[in-house]
Amino acid sequence: MTTHTCDCGICDWTWRHVPAADHKPGEMRKIYHISQYKTWPPAEGLKWDLYKKDFTGTEITEVPHTYSYHHGMFGYMNEKQVAIGESTIGTQRKMINATPSAVLDLSMLTLLGMERGGTAREAIKIMGELAEKYGYGFNDDGEMLAVSDPNEVWIFEIMPVGPLWTPQSGKPGAIWCAQRVPDDQVSVCPNESRIGEIDLGKPDYFMASPNVISYAVDNGYYDPKSGKPFSWKRAYSPAEGSAVSTDGRRQRLWRFFNLVAPSQTFNPETPNMDFPFSIKPDKKLSVEDIMAITRDKSKGTRFDTTSGIRGGPFQNPNYYRNTRTICVSNVEYTTLTQCRRGLPDSIGGIIWISFGPQDTACYMPFYAGISEMPKSFAVGDHWTLNRDSARWAFDYTDFHVQPVYNAAIEDVKEAQAKYEAAVVARIPEIDKQALDLYNKKPAKAVQFLTGFCLNNAQTVIKAWWDLGDQLLVKYNHLAFYDSQKRTAGRIKTASPPWWIKAVKAMVVLLEPDKK
Amino acid sequence: MRRTTLCLIMGIAFLAGGLFSQNVPKAEMPVLTTSAGQSPDVETLNIVMEEASLAYDYCDVPTAEMLGTGVGLGGKESGPGFHIEIKSDLAKFPKGTSYKTIVFAIGASLKGMGASGLTLESEEARLKSIIDTCKQKKIFIIAVHIGGESKRGAPKSDNERMIDAVAPYADYLIVTKDSNKDGRFTTIAKNKNIPISEVEYALGVVDILKQVFN
Repeated sequence: MTTHTCDCGICDWTWRHVPAADHKPGEMRKIYHISQYKTWPPAEGLKWDLYKKDFTGTEITEVPHTYSYHHGMFGYMNEKQVAIGESTIGTQRKMINATPSAVLDLSMLTLLGMERGGTAREAIKIMGELAEKYGYGFNDDGEMLAVSDPNEVWIFEIMPVGPLWTPQSGKPGAIWCAQRVPDDQVSVCPNESRIGEIDLGKPDYFMASPNVISYAVDNGYYDPKSGKPFSWKRAYSPAEGSAVSTDGRRQRLWRFFNLVAPSQTFNPETPNMDFPFSIKPDKKLSVEDIMAITRDKSKGTRFDTTSGIRGGPFQNPNYYRNTRTICVSNVEYTTLTQCRRGLPDSIGGIIWISFGPQDTACYMPFYAGISEMPKSFAVGDHWTLNRDSARWAFDYTDFHVQPVYNAAIEDVKEAQAKYEAAVVARIPEIDKQALDLYNKKPAKAVQFLTGFCLNNAQTVIKAWWDLGDQLLVKYNHLAFYDSQKRTAGRIKTASPPWWIKAVKAMVVLLEPDKK
Repeated sequence: MRRTTLCLIMGIAFLAGGLFSQNVPKAEMPVLTTSAGQSPDVETLNIVMEEASLAYDYCDVPTAEMLGTGVGLGGKESGPGFHIEIKSDLAKFPKGTSYKTIVFAIGASLKGMGASGLTLESEEARLKSIIDTCKQKKIFIIAVHIGGESKRGAPKSDNERMIDAVAPYADYLIVTKDSNKDGRFTTIAKNKNIPISEVEYALGVVDILKQVFN
């Protein structure tokens, strides 16, 4: 399993399904610049049509067959169950290459990885080698991709090699490294490089570009005479600080390890670069465990954004922004991918998609083999409310949770139990039905799974529009309206005694004359 | 195919040679590098300066007042959304020496402007006051665009507004071919009688700046 939160707050959130295709000899694949931080005005068209205006001028030889895949801001899961999650990690300033000599951005690389990669290793090799040949960067710098298939999960990190690189230099136009996560372990990438020491003598666990160490030596990022082993992250993407030293802005690394392996009592004062690459969790993690982790707000920890008066009377974890929790409020969407052995790829792969902040949203499953995504996933942006856009259903509910967070979030949890947990529980049954059909005729399984996924998404989206309506009525005027009994009253959690005390204390502080 | 490639290479060599011999003006130290639009292109510019062994001061969002304080930028220090690097040769140009040249990296980034607390309008206003000060103090203005075609954007886009704010007032324009595909910079140069150099890659700017600063 991998999970990824796309959380820039102004970015594109649209999704489509890209079908498989056969290509004739001599066909070329056009390369486009695609910024992961951009939105495309819906009035002008769809993202995948509009980014073609940013043709780089470079075409690469097409492969005979390209796989089908699901496409959001990145390529996420293809028909071979190769899945991707992403995290921006940054790099040394001098390595950034924002010039057009870097033909490939990260988004474009992931599309090529999806089209051409039949396994995680294959996808990594394809993306890495293309980046070396055509140059990587332009809209992106240091980036990490979690690349998985039913057998392996790899952390792939890639960096540009500076703005003075040219294809005529004969040197690689990118530098990359990948480390496999041991089968019984978990890893996390909270916008920080995670690969430390590498051992290229273990090809089942490490892969890298040929310049992986030499570039660091040539540019003064690593001195072999220092007596210290080469560390990828310390050379190319150093990130100083700990959860505590950054006042919680870098607490997600510690928090993740603390959540999955509480027995190891990780110290939040540990510098982030000293945390291990991966660890064995205290127990095997389920899909629901991962969903819960993506919703984590560090409640009850020293980084709790609702402790004291931080969250206001309704304990809203989104007011106090100093701490960067795992779940933040400016999420475009979150993905959770499952690559499962023992099933045909079309059934084994599932990508769960949740729009908007995870705490108020609902994960919806989409199998690797489905032949289309909901039409409502392809439209909408941040600037115009669009009732035909799936994403807005979730923002609509999220907006109505904010004023009375600690009361309204309970209503959301009820809906999540009904529309999310129930579907998680149904997956084995859906798998079985799809497998029966697959054994008769694989195309039938595709039709069945497509119908199931689209119908479920439609149901959830309607439920979230309705939920937003219900919250508006129920907590209107910061009161509590019971539609069943047609009564009105106070919200149970409104104005707790500690809040009244806090207000009085602030009055004393700010208006001493009124003491 | 071979003939086409050869012609293309010869064409580039001729173009570059022509531009170098006719149009490369001379500029003097000390120099300040800065951004018009807060895109990462200013990082590229600084790396180009370093590669050309040109010592410079850098500030992403200087004010006209700061520019007037000369080398050292009045002792201001970096802070959130505000970056300063003082790399001028202080033995040759002590703090307070008036800048003789300013180099703008043109490129709009809403993300970059947001990080610096700027809007498009306030960035335009800031650039106007900087350019007015340069004209008043006879500071030589070099404008560089190395972001390429896809960072140019449509007419009236953020990036185009940054070009309008700086390029017509420059004393010298340096652009990559990809940034000038539509001839926008060539037109500005022609209309305003500004020397212009066009290069294939950012690497080409290194040699040009070496010549400009002799």
